[in-house]
Amino acid sequence: MKALILGAGRGTRVQPITHSLPKPMMPVLNRPIMELLVEHLRHHGVRQILVNTSYLSGEIENYFRDGARFGVEIGYSFEGRMENGHLVDAPVGSAGAIRKIQDHSGFFDEPFFVLCGDAIIDLDLTRFAEFHHSRGAVASLAMLDVPRETVGSYGVVVAEPDGRILGFQEKPSPEEARSTTVNTGVYLFEPSVTDLIPSDVAYDIGGQLFPDLVRRGAPFYALNLPFRWLDIGKVTDYYEVLRLAMVGGVPGVTVPGTEIRPGLRVGPNVRIRPEACTIRGPVSIGASAIIEDRATLLGPCYIGPGAVLEAGAVVEESFVFEYTRVSSMTHLNRSIASGRFCVTGEGVTVQVAESGLDWVLSDARAPHHAIANPQQMLEALIRLADES
Amino acid sequence: MDFTTETVNGVTVVTLQGETLDASNAKALKTDLVPVLAPGAKLVFDMKGVRFVDSSGLGALLSCLRQVHSSGGDLKLCEMGKAVRALFELVRMHRIFEIYNSRDEALRSYSAGA
Repeated sequence: MKALILGAGRGTRVQPITHSLPKPMMPVLNRPIMELLVEHLRHHGVRQILVNTSYLSGEIENYFRDGARFGVEIGYSFEGRMENGHLVDAPVGSAGAIRKIQDHSGFFDEPFFVLCGDAIIDLDLTRFAEFHHSRGAVASLAMLDVPRETVGSYGVVVAEPDGRILGFQEKPSPEEARSTTVNTGVYLFEPSVTDLIPSDVAYDIGGQLFPDLVRRGAPFYALNLPFRWLDIGKVTDYYEVLRLAMVGGVPGVTVPGTEIRPGLRVGPNVRIRPEACTIRGPVSIGASAIIEDRATLLGPCYIGPGAVLEAGAVVEESFVFEYTRVSSMTHLNRSIASGRFCVTGEGVTVQVAESGLDWVLSDARAPHHAIANPQQMLEALIRLADES
Repeated sequence: MDFTTETVNGVTVVTLQGETLDASNAKALKTDLVPVLAPGAKLVFDMKGVRFVDSSGLGALLSCLRQVHSSGGDLKLCEMGKAVRALFELVRMHRIFEIYNSRDEALRSYSAGA
């Protein structure tokens, strides 16, 4: 079987994290989401995967390359063009992506999965395929039951007991929803579905193709099989997934590092004296990071490779990207931080670079002036105001 | 940055009216606030409209705080937006300033005694 991973979206609801990363490359601890999807597809026998790319396409293509390292063949369908030496995005929609590939080479010559590149799943794809074939479906989707009061966040699927889809409701109120089963963005299509997608025009699976299938009375089915679905729609979702990953709750993710103290794992070349720090697990520290004496780490925390926590820094239930310097003045609490930004688990962003806060969070590779003590910092800030 | 002042039970409430407090206006604000930072003054800064504060802005607020403290007065902050609050907590300014959610709470904190 073959698969398409949708990787062309801009991820505007997960800013600022997607400022420099496309959504499928958002890391869950030490590996991008998309790597988990590739592994899952491979586990279920998929050996050829296409990924449509647009926004920051290089991040995806340079990491996965031809897929050999991951035991599969990966190819890309780039949606955009080069203008004046740089790449310009021109996404064509989730269904448009399928059509573009089909027009290019007829790649989809057997049933193929389509996965959204921003959700982690452990759905039994083999059983999904069996269901699809047993119904003689031309298209199937995997749906999940959710609490009724939450249906307003999803596309509700209305289906008969055998799974035949009757229709959809986009983000209905709990009262109007005709069911509590929702679309998870995991699909299985027969090649004939591609004939229903027009060429050279932006076209969307959920918004256009699916209603068309329903209108035509095509054999279109929904599988209702429980599975783990971690959808990273907004920053709060991402933060919760990172927390879950640190306690082994994300399928396919193990906490990296060697355990040197109970609840403390470190990669190679990490400089740390645990006895001189305050540490409460679970904490994982990436390779070559520096944790100075008197730093405080209150887990769950993951510190990316090359990061630096200065003496006095407090990282509490937070996730620090690679090469981030956290200054001695800083207290990260339930946040995600890089050298450029800090965003709380509730989605509130502090633009570090714009706020002249490089003394708080910065790139560990950049020259810096250490702040000796809080008094010195206050003096510096007051001087800064006087000079403005 | 423009601001309005009103006095409530002996406390001067300064409502800041610009959206950003940064390098472009921090120094000017400090200068404009001089009449308000009278010796022994009890002050509340209402930050409701302020969406963005940078290092210079923090410095200006710290400077005000230091000035009133040195003359026996006090300065408290209230009605901070989420992004500004997140910034203050990130740099532990919430240990240096007393920050209240609402203007009423800030005013009440003065009545409740030092």
